[in-house]
Amino acid sequence: MEYTVSLVGNPNVGKTSLYNRITHSLEHVGNWHGVTVSEVSKKIMFDHNSINMVDLPGLYSLSVYSYEESISRDRILQRSSDLIINICEVNNLARNLYLTLQLLELDVPVVLVINMMDELRKQGKVLNYRQIEKVLKIPIVPMSAKYHSDVHLLMDVALDHIKTHGSNTVDLEYLKKLPIDDVVSIIGANASAAGFSPRWAAVKVLENDAFVLGKLCLDERQSAVLRAMGDFQARVAQVRYEFIDKITEGAISRSVSDEHHEMHEHEAHNVPLETDGELVADLKDKHVRHHNKHKESERLNMLGVSRLDKIVLNKYLALPIFLLIMALIFVVTFGLVGNFFTWLLELGIDKLIYGPLTGWLARINCPAWITGLVGDGIIQGVGGILVFLPQIVLLFFFLAMLEDSGYISRVAFMTDGIFRKIGLSGRSAFTMLMGFGCSATAVLTARGLEDDKMRKKTVLLTPFMSCSARLPVYSTIAASFFAAGSPFIIFGMYVLGAAVALVIAALFEKCIKPLKSGKLSFIMEMPPYRLPTAERVFQIIWNNIKVFLIRVGTTIFALNVIVWLLSNFSFTAGYTMGKDAKSILEVFSGLIAPVFSPLGFGNWRAVTSLLSGLVAKEVVISSIESLGGIEAVFIGAHPSLSALTFMVFTLLYVPCVATLVAIKKEAGLKWMFFSLGLQMGAAYIVSLLFHSIGLLFLLNAGLMTGICIVAAVAAICIAVLIGKLRGKHGCAYCNGGCRNCERRGRNNKK
Amino acid sequence: MTLLDAKVNTKYIVRGVSGEGNARRRLLDMGFTPDCGLYIAAVAPMGGTVLVGLRGFMVALREDAASLIEIEADK
Repeated sequence: MEYTVSLVGNPNVGKTSLYNRITHSLEHVGNWHGVTVSEVSKKIMFDHNSINMVDLPGLYSLSVYSYEESISRDRILQRSSDLIINICEVNNLARNLYLTLQLLELDVPVVLVINMMDELRKQGKVLNYRQIEKVLKIPIVPMSAKYHSDVHLLMDVALDHIKTHGSNTVDLEYLKKLPIDDVVSIIGANASAAGFSPRWAAVKVLENDAFVLGKLCLDERQSAVLRAMGDFQARVAQVRYEFIDKITEGAISRSVSDEHHEMHEHEAHNVPLETDGELVADLKDKHVRHHNKHKESERLNMLGVSRLDKIVLNKYLALPIFLLIMALIFVVTFGLVGNFFTWLLELGIDKLIYGPLTGWLARINCPAWITGLVGDGIIQGVGGILVFLPQIVLLFFFLAMLEDSGYISRVAFMTDGIFRKIGLSGRSAFTMLMGFGCSATAVLTARGLEDDKMRKKTVLLTPFMSCSARLPVYSTIAASFFAAGSPFIIFGMYVLGAAVALVIAALFEKCIKPLKSGKLSFIMEMPPYRLPTAERVFQIIWNNIKVFLIRVGTTIFALNVIVWLLSNFSFTAGYTMGKDAKSILEVFSGLIAPVFSPLGFGNWRAVTSLLSGLVAKEVVISSIESLGGIEAVFIGAHPSLSALTFMVFTLLYVPCVATLVAIKKEAGLKWMFFSLGLQMGAAYIVSLLFHSIGLLFLLNAGLMTGICIVAAVAAICIAVLIGKLRGKHGCAYCNGGCRNCERRGRNNKK
Repeated sequence: MTLLDAKVNTKYIVRGVSGEGNARRRLLDMGFTPDCGLYIAAVAPMGGTVLVGLRGFMVALREDAASLIEIEADK
């Protein structure tokens, strides 16, 4: 038989983890909300049945809020699945069951998975899921999808349910508290015509769901009658939650072994009772305090608050901690650890491959151009990128750690203040942080953003975040010009990219109407802190090594061969080495080169490498290597300034064709061209400014330093002044505690 | 009072959710229903956004959403 089974649940409950387990896939997972932004499916064989497993983006309710949620809703409403596996998370069971109730209202076949049982066990608690099963009358399978779990058992239960299932028999008693019958009598015919079950449509009408109301095509009279019934939006949510609270009451309890443990502890505290009166009182007091503290943290836990956040999100500590973590990642990736492995690889390639191979080619009297192609074109060029494998793997590893631990969501929360001012949400910060890994894949994560303008804006800004492909360019150039200072230069590039993105976002908000999103609403769930499993860490590292090697072996390799050939052969004279003839690229790139003269690198070699970098940014550096090395490219009066400007240009111009394709996919052709122009323009203007200011510094360092100090002092004064003025007129949001806050006055009047 | 007036590290009880449309329903769907307890876990360093814990999870809300949630002190 052939069946379709869909995975449905709240965001970040582990749907994709379970999907990966069932289908042996490697879809991207992470500890934040909205990792999966589109439908993914795969056919598997189970027990002689062909099952089409569908992984859907997470959603909180069948009344949706963002585009990705509507994908899931549409899939569920089409009833195209033979079974829905509804995944709940045990930590906030109530909100998860809220969606389950809606699925039951819709009367679709459901099997319930309660995930993350391992986290409950760690807290020393157990879940009596039979109690819930008895009321909902659907099979419940508890599991931990992150670790090895019994997928076979789940699939057995699922198949069994498909075969035996008729209609859900659950008694949704809370619906009786709502005027469902009255609404059905008004909209029943419309609901049937729209293909909805009347009862379900009636609940949605009471919830004031715009999508369902639109589909029902009610006439004025019907709408008027419904309006006269009053507002039931809050009531619907309330009765559902009351029902959930009722059926889950007492379902989670301390496990027996844990109670036992506590009893022992109690006894231990009671021992000194008979020995020393004073000490006992003190101890007893301590015990009570300890107990209260324990209870307090238990209560906070019930509310979902992590104690770690008291430090991590502390008003004063939050930003220093963030900077410390970033600095640590930087030092490890670009400093000692990363550099050591890179050096090791470099040595290996040079001693074991380059030396012996070119020596052998020379011995067998190979034509000079073949030795050149293999030695300079391929080994120097491709090898020049290959050596960055350790740093790139480290970078992706840290990004994945930020993602999986839940810290990335905290970053989005902390930076929301800046993002709010420029018309973005903290959720955009995810996409942009992902941009440090790969621009093209990061652009695709923007789909989870609810506002269309904000989504476009995020998509346009993400390429400015320095992706991992740009890393070899900075590293190589910085190392040869600035030796010990190179980590600082590289760090500067990352900061510059982010700064340019923020400035451009602010400009969009002020000047470009189709991108002006104004004050946006922002409701984002914060995931709990989680430890990534060893399996996952290994998977991340292995995956990135694989992707990188494939990239180096195909695109970058091919491009390097082409660039080397085109730059070493002329139209007429063949191999140009030692001849007085211009190569093909020398002629072609030479035509464009003058455009870049004001930036300090107006020569054909630099232009060629930038052009080839359009396919993949790593190729910028491999081209330079095969075109005669850094010394041949950065010539002129101030080679180090030219090199720095070149890095700035590389940072800001179009990352690669793949990113452009991704932008077209997410925002359309028009915005793709806009992005192309924007990035080229920004790269040119910023580089020009950078180069000009740099030249001024070189010409008169003393005067320029003076000007900078004056400008900095002026900027600080203005900032303080603005701050003062703000203070007078009330701050953005000060927790109600700010003395001269406008709102405080308002509230007092209330 | 509303969530805007709430103090950090304090417990409150939800009275109701005002406003209309999508934002209101999203808050209701997430569990901001009357009598539900909540805890203000943090306020963003630059202000404007508040982190609330309720029903076993945490959610970050901007000013506009926070202003819709009516609360009272937890006795």
